[in-house]
This record gives sequence, C-alpha cells and structure tokens, in this order.
Amino acid sequence: MRRIVLRRLAQIIPLVLAVIVLNFVLIHLAPGSLFDVMTSEQQITDPAMLDQLRHTYGVDQPTGVQLAKYIWSVMRLDLGFSYRQNAPVLDVIMDQLPATLILMLAAIAVALVIGMTAGVLASVRVNTIWDNLISLAAVFFFAAPSFWLGIMMVVLFSVKLGWFPVGGMRTIGVNNGVIGDALDVMHHLVLPATALGLFYAATYARVMRASMLEVFRLDFVRTARAKGLSRARVVLVHVMRNALLPIVTLLGLQLGTILGGSVVIESVFSWPGIGSLLFDSVMSRNFPMVLGVLVLGSLLVAVANAAVDLAYLRLDPRIRAR
Amino acid sequence: MLPRTIDFARRFARNRAAVVGLLLVILVIGIALAAPWIYPRNPLRIVGRPEIWPFVNSRFPLGTDSLGRDIAAMIAYGARTTLLIGLCASITATLIGITVGAAAAYFGGWIDEMLMRFTELFQTIPNLIFVLTIVAILGQKLEYVTIAVGVVTWTPIARLTRAEFLSLRDREFVQACRAMGMSNLRIMFGEILPNALPPVIVLSSLVIAGAVLFESAVSFLGLGDPNVSSWGRLIGDGRTLIRTSWYICAVPGLAIMLTVLALNLVGDGLNDALNPKLRDR
Repeated sequence: MRRIVLRRLAQIIPLVLAVIVLNFVLIHLAPGSLFDVMTSEQQITDPAMLDQLRHTYGVDQPTGVQLAKYIWSVMRLDLGFSYRQNAPVLDVIMDQLPATLILMLAAIAVALVIGMTAGVLASVRVNTIWDNLISLAAVFFFAAPSFWLGIMMVVLFSVKLGWFPVGGMRTIGVNNGVIGDALDVMHHLVLPATALGLFYAATYARVMRASMLEVFRLDFVRTARAKGLSRARVVLVHVMRNALLPIVTLLGLQLGTILGGSVVIESVFSWPGIGSLLFDSVMSRNFPMVLGVLVLGSLLVAVANAAVDLAYLRLDPRIRAR
Repeated sequence: MLPRTIDFARRFARNRAAVVGLLLVILVIGIALAAPWIYPRNPLRIVGRPEIWPFVNSRFPLGTDSLGRDIAAMIAYGARTTLLIGLCASITATLIGITVGAAAAYFGGWIDEMLMRFTELFQTIPNLIFVLTIVAILGQKLEYVTIAVGVVTWTPIARLTRAEFLSLRDREFVQACRAMGMSNLRIMFGEILPNALPPVIVLSSLVIAGAVLFESAVSFLGLGDPNVSSWGRLIGDGRTLIRTSWYICAVPGLAIMLTVLALNLVGDGLNDALNPKLRDR
C-alpha cells in the first residue's frame, strides 16, 4: 500500500517539471519582456540603472541558464519576487490560497450533495415527473455559464431579497470571535459556492442516474433484495456505493476545471483568492506571479488527482487486487 | 449514400430534444449570418438613451446598455463571434486530438507513453488559468483566444481517438492494408480514421459548446478582443449596473445558455444517430 502511494506521488514530479518548462517557453514567446514592463511601470530610464537591474534580475544571461535557474529555484520553493506586491511570490500566493481552497471545497460539496441526491432520486423514480424535472434542470444548469448564474443569484438573493451579501469574504469591521467569524465566512460563501457548484451538480446528477440504473440491473442487487433488505438499504448501501466510482473519476478529471472556474467566480463575488490575484497579475503583466499561480495550481491538481486515485483503492477493493 | 443519409436523419429525428436543439442552432446561425443586413452599422455605436429596458421602445427591442448601445444589435453580432470562436476552437482541438490520439495508438510503445504523458500534462494544468495566461502573453485578439481554447480542450478527443484506434488497429482490414504495403499515414488517416470518426465527431460537437462557455468567460473578464461585440463582454460591462438595470446581464446570459443548450442537445442527438448501439442505455 505504501509503495503504491509513493509511486503515485513520484509520477507528479515530471508533470510539474513539464509545466515549469512550458510556462517558461510561453513567457519567452511574449512580445515585450517582464523586464520592460517592470521598468516602465516604475519609470526607470537611466541606462546605468537599467544595466544594474538587468544584472540583479538575471535577464542578461542566456535563456538556457535562466531556465535552469528557474527550475532550480522552483525546486527550492522559491517562485521569484513580485515587484508589484513587493513580496515573494510564494508568500503572496499562500496568503490567498486558503480562500480559494475554501471556495473550491464548498463548491465540490454543493456539487456532490445536490448532484448525487438528484441522481439517486431520478434513478429511483425513473421515468416519472421527478426524473424528467431533474433531467431538465440538469440540462439547463449544464449550459448556463457559472459567472452569469452568480450574477443572477446576486440580483435575486442580494439585491432584491437581501438574504446574502453581494461579495467579499468577511463583513468589514465586525469582530465576533472565531465561531462568529466562521459563520460570517459561510454566509458569504453560499452564493459563490452554489454558482460554481451547480454546473458540476448537473454533470453528477446525469452520471449518477445513469450509473445507478446500470447497477440496479446487476445480479447482486437482486440477491440483496431477495435477502429481504429494506429498499432504502439496498439503494443507499449496495447500489450507491457501486455507482459512486464514475463520480470519483469525474471529480478527479474536473479538479483543474473547478480551479479555473473559481477564477471567474472570484471575480464576480470579489472573493479574495488566487483568482483575483491571477486576474490582477494578468492585467499588469506580472509574469512571475502568473507563472507561480500556474505552477502551484498544476501542482495542486496533480496532488489532488493522486489523492483521488488513492481514494479509489478505498472505495473499490477490486482495484487493489490487480 | 442517399438512403443512408435519410436513415441517419430519421434516427436523429427520433430524439425530439435534438430536433429542438438543431432548430435553435439554425436560428442562431441565421441571426449570425443576417446580422450585417439587419444592423448595417457598427453594433458598438451609440444609438440612443442609455439604460432603456427591453420591450419599452420598439426601436430597441432588447433595450440599450449603459452607454446607449443597442443590445439587440450587439447580441446579433455577438452570435457571429461566439459561433466563429466555438467552431474554430473545436476544429483546432479535434485536429490536435486526432493527431495525438491516432499516433499514440497506432505506433504504441514509447511514442504512446510520451504522447499520453503529454496529454496528462494538459489535463493537469487548470484550463481557464492556462487560457488566461496565453491570452495575456500573446495579446487580446480573436485568433489567440481561439487557439488558447483549442489548446485546452483537445485532451478528451485525443483519449477517445486513441481508444478507438486501439480497438481497430489489429483488425483484419488493417492487416490487409499493411500486407498491401500501404504507408502508415495512409492506413491511419485513410483506413482507420473513417471507422473511428463517428464518436469523435460527437465529442467535437460537444467541444463547441464547451468552447462557447470558455470564450464567454474570457471576454466576461475583459480579456477578449475589445474590438468585436461579444456576449460575455456584454455581461461583464453590465455587471456594474445590476442594482438598476440587471437585464443588461440577463439577456446575453440567456443567449449563451440557449446556444450551449442547443449545441449539447444536438450532440446528444448525433450520439444517438451515429452510435445506435448505445442508444438504449
């Protein structure tokens, strides 16, 4: 078991290396270097000063050396220095990462709870009005852009009804202690997490319905029924556990998309996470920051994918036997 | 050929939702094509009082935005942008995906291993973040947005093509072609590909829907081409006015949703018609 875990984690390393190289190439394709942007933003024109800075930032060295240096520094978790925030890139990202993680996890939770409930309900009442309603809703939420859903939810729930805040993560200037603070964040979290999660809920509902129906036909379900188990127990324990595998696969494949989606949602709800940071950095051509977000984002997805693979082993003992 | 086409149409038409979707897609294409005739002048031109609500003034059936531009005209021209980017991005993704998937399955061995690692790499990179990076680096132009979206959406097509090729690669007809001395390229693209194509086409049609969503997100963030009208950008521009004029956001959002919905329905219908074996699942 430990060997499997280690081997799976080792597969991440070449992936991350490739991401670093890819991004380095991209940055060097750009017309106008990071250095030009940086110096023009701070209005440095003195040639001696420019040479001095070129040397400090290592821009005067050949590309190969720069790449090698970049890879070496990323290995030591040094992602460079952001001249805009005047702080190391890693520190800035780590400051913003928790907010994004909270949003992502909440969105995944919303997607799983709503999607699985809807899928199970639709499969139990297959071809009834419930099934049709759920399928219809799934088709709609599958097609709606998440940022638009978010804005429409703000219009309805914040502007018209006043139930939830329009944006942000905390109420400014209020101190309620730890529990009050957590409740406050959760209150702010409801709309963005739902807007982001509903798209995935729609996918999960469709997949869950299909895979439940598939499992219902298998022999062991008939056996479970014949044993005299209650209907609820058959559905929840026997069928659902087996129908869960496609959902786990899908979740693993979609993690990168969810991270990307949270960039847009963060911008809609002015959520102070990596997305806002990336957006600001893209706008100001703050390349070390963009690179840092890409590398760390990819690392996050790679690690989470490995975790999903390992979750497989828990969910389905048959996989371990191979 | 003709009876097969009719048979195909009949199977497609059996799925009512797909027919509705097809009609919607045709409607959107019609609007996109007719836009220059209905609105001969620049859609980004200011034509009236700002913030007129829809259905109030018959000159502006969908109202005007915060600057007094005609929303209906912008929607019509936005359909052009959306469909163009969606189609081109899907073609880009399909070409990359088929090439990678076909080469991986046909040659096998270390080429397969390398190409699949490459695919995995693109699956790991958070796609929207990658699109934003490419657009930020190369510049805010229609072509770059298209390429960027194509580059992040080809992985499922590559995997599917590979799976299809793997199942066809050792069939008798391929062995016969090899025995005849056909070149690898001719066997791959002339003999195997036509047999592997139906499920790939279905997936490409679904990629168009995904590409439309990507494009709308990019232009919503204000990173799209600033010189063309786009549904996503209209939503982004209208965002500041949601307290008073939320219709500016609502209308283009509905347009995006209906288009993506229609494309998805057509994809499902194609799936039923092209893979009749899977239909009853």
